[in-house]
Amino acid sequence: MKKSALTLLSLLLVMTMFLAACGNNGGSNNNSGSTNTPSSAPEESTEPSKAPEPVELRVFSTFGGTDAAREAFQKAIDEFTAANPHVKVKNDTMSANDDGFRTKVNTDMTSGNEPDLLFYFIGTDATEIINSGKVVAMDEILDADAEWKNGFAPAALESVRTADGKIYAIPLTGYYEGLFVNKKLFEENGVELPTDWEKFKAAVSAFKAKGIIPLSGPFDQSHYLIEHFVLAAAGAEGQAKGLKDGIDPNWEKGLAAMKEVYDLGAFPEDAATIDLGMAGNYYSEGLAAMILEGSWAIGGWSEETKANTTVLPFPAIPGGVGTGKDVVGGFGSGFYMSKAAYDDAAKKDATIALLKHLTNPASIKSIATANGGTPAAAGVQPEGLPQAALDGFKMVSEATSINSPIDSKVTPETFSTIRANIQPVVTGKKTPKEALEEAMAIETAAK
Amino acid sequence: MMKGDRKYILMFLLPAAAFLTIFLYYPFFKSLYLSFFRTSGFYSKTFVGFDNYSRMFSDDLLGAATLHTLELMLYVIVFQVGIALLLAILVDNIKWGKGFFRMVFFFPVVISGTAIALLFVLFYNFQFGLLNTILQDMGFNKVNWLSESMALKAIAIPTVWHYVGFYFVLFLTAMSKIPSDFYEAAKLEGISGFKKTFLLTIPLILSDIKVVITLAITGTLKVFEFIFVLSRGQNGTEVLGTYIYKKALVDQNFGYGSTIAIYIVVFGVVLSLLANRLLKRDEITY
Repeated sequence: MKKSALTLLSLLLVMTMFLAACGNNGGSNNNSGSTNTPSSAPEESTEPSKAPEPVELRVFSTFGGTDAAREAFQKAIDEFTAANPHVKVKNDTMSANDDGFRTKVNTDMTSGNEPDLLFYFIGTDATEIINSGKVVAMDEILDADAEWKNGFAPAALESVRTADGKIYAIPLTGYYEGLFVNKKLFEENGVELPTDWEKFKAAVSAFKAKGIIPLSGPFDQSHYLIEHFVLAAAGAEGQAKGLKDGIDPNWEKGLAAMKEVYDLGAFPEDAATIDLGMAGNYYSEGLAAMILEGSWAIGGWSEETKANTTVLPFPAIPGGVGTGKDVVGGFGSGFYMSKAAYDDAAKKDATIALLKHLTNPASIKSIATANGGTPAAAGVQPEGLPQAALDGFKMVSEATSINSPIDSKVTPETFSTIRANIQPVVTGKKTPKEALEEAMAIETAAK
Repeated sequence: MMKGDRKYILMFLLPAAAFLTIFLYYPFFKSLYLSFFRTSGFYSKTFVGFDNYSRMFSDDLLGAATLHTLELMLYVIVFQVGIALLLAILVDNIKWGKGFFRMVFFFPVVISGTAIALLFVLFYNFQFGLLNTILQDMGFNKVNWLSESMALKAIAIPTVWHYVGFYFVLFLTAMSKIPSDFYEAAKLEGISGFKKTFLLTIPLILSDIKVVITLAITGTLKVFEFIFVLSRGQNGTEVLGTYIYKKALVDQNFGYGSTIAIYIVVFGVVLSLLANRLLKRDEITY
């Protein structure tokens, strides 16, 4: 009797362990959308009115954690589930800053665990997913619903078109990156805004002398540093080529300029070991006068810094071919619909309806208002934006070119080789040429 | 053994065997297989023979990561094992409060490594870290604790601290197992203090020290969170754990990542064998 009870107990234990192992592999914050909020919201979906079968959809996106648009996104989902009580939406999220996000998406896509809607990057990151046929082209669905399609700004839809001429990702909000500067610190210290390279260098020296960090930027997560220094030296075309036709000598000039300002003391003392979050923190706390960041960062800064911030295009580097008005930006991510959801008769219509709801002008407006991004919808003007965001839109409208960032032009390994070489280059252990040749070798091997 | 027992033995061994197969042997052989491929993310792979291995032998960063791991291992063996042994001897010699000290010293083991690392970020931060604030208040200049010359040593401190308690408990348990007649005999012979510790206690727990050193060596190969959170592998702190993460998961180069995984396994086995050989002594039974 006692023995069999023991056996039973251990079996139970083993089963629990199996269950635990097979359980949630998401690991991230899963906020399930509210399910059955009784509401009198009007039916706005294309769902058939006769009691539809209940379905559960999974939306995987970056609208979680500290993302500025987290609440706006959740609200858009709640609106949808309120109007369509038979649909349950699982709002699965992970931070985009985290390298793990790409891994999670790739694991999901290859292991038969595709989310029904995926909010993911456009460019090299998505190429393999598109080529493997895991997501569907949206052109037919767009053409079938003129009202939905016409809600988008034509330029936004064009910018998400892939090389094969099809649209796979439905854009939501765009972004821009630039040199964010703390106007108050510039005024207080009598320094001119860095509108050209000489003024930029002068500002670096002036702030360094005052004990203020001139340019807050980390060397490991140096994405924005690399993007801007290379773009400012190589110009739009030189940057867009990536490393396809060998190393553009202007790329070397970009890295050399980074060393030049490093020698002037541009970066924080601990630039090598801080991460992007800490770099943003230095700027937000008023310890740093400038930072290279994206439009999404504005919402995270302290109220005082936010009010004193304006954004400028990164100045052209002398000897290069940049115009000084080249901007990194565009629509860097969008909603993909998985092939699995498309083929599943029970899910197809609900997924499309949800996608239409999330990308209708009202949803786009509220998300753009929250994250300060450029709305993808036509004629939508986000409200209550800080001056810095308006300055950003102005900067983009005056730009001579709007470029997608370098890491969408080269393979991930090539880009991290450049990243890993930033510190050796600025401290003089490697020349820019050596660093880029190393990256080139990786790029060639990956082909 | 009764004949019927065999059935139960198999039944109880099966879950563990299944777990090991699924989560250890299968991934290991899969890594071995993948190490012969050039992968592009998860989607496509091409057979490249020994390319990854030849790349491995000319990879400066991997060499540097190995050296940093060895340096960290030295700190861990000397300080982690050393401090644990010292604390165990001290606690073993006190009459009351053993339970209290055992709990206090063991406590950091329970805290997640990432949490400790984040704590030390706030200690070491150059701009507003605890250490630099204290220095400034005392009128000294700020120090970059994670500079190129100091980063690895600075990171070794939380690494050592985190697991001292674990080895301390192992040592303390080993010491409590020493039969008291040994000590009574020593007392009659008039041996006490340092002599008792070095001639009696330590030799009698030598086999445990050996186990702990092996654990420390293999444990150091897995160090990841302290480096990743505190320095992101910059300033001469890249270790094997962070390097493999960057290659396999950030770069999405699973082929080369798998090759490094194989290298780490071989490296770990060689080091443990070496440690066992160096510490070879006759087993003591009591």
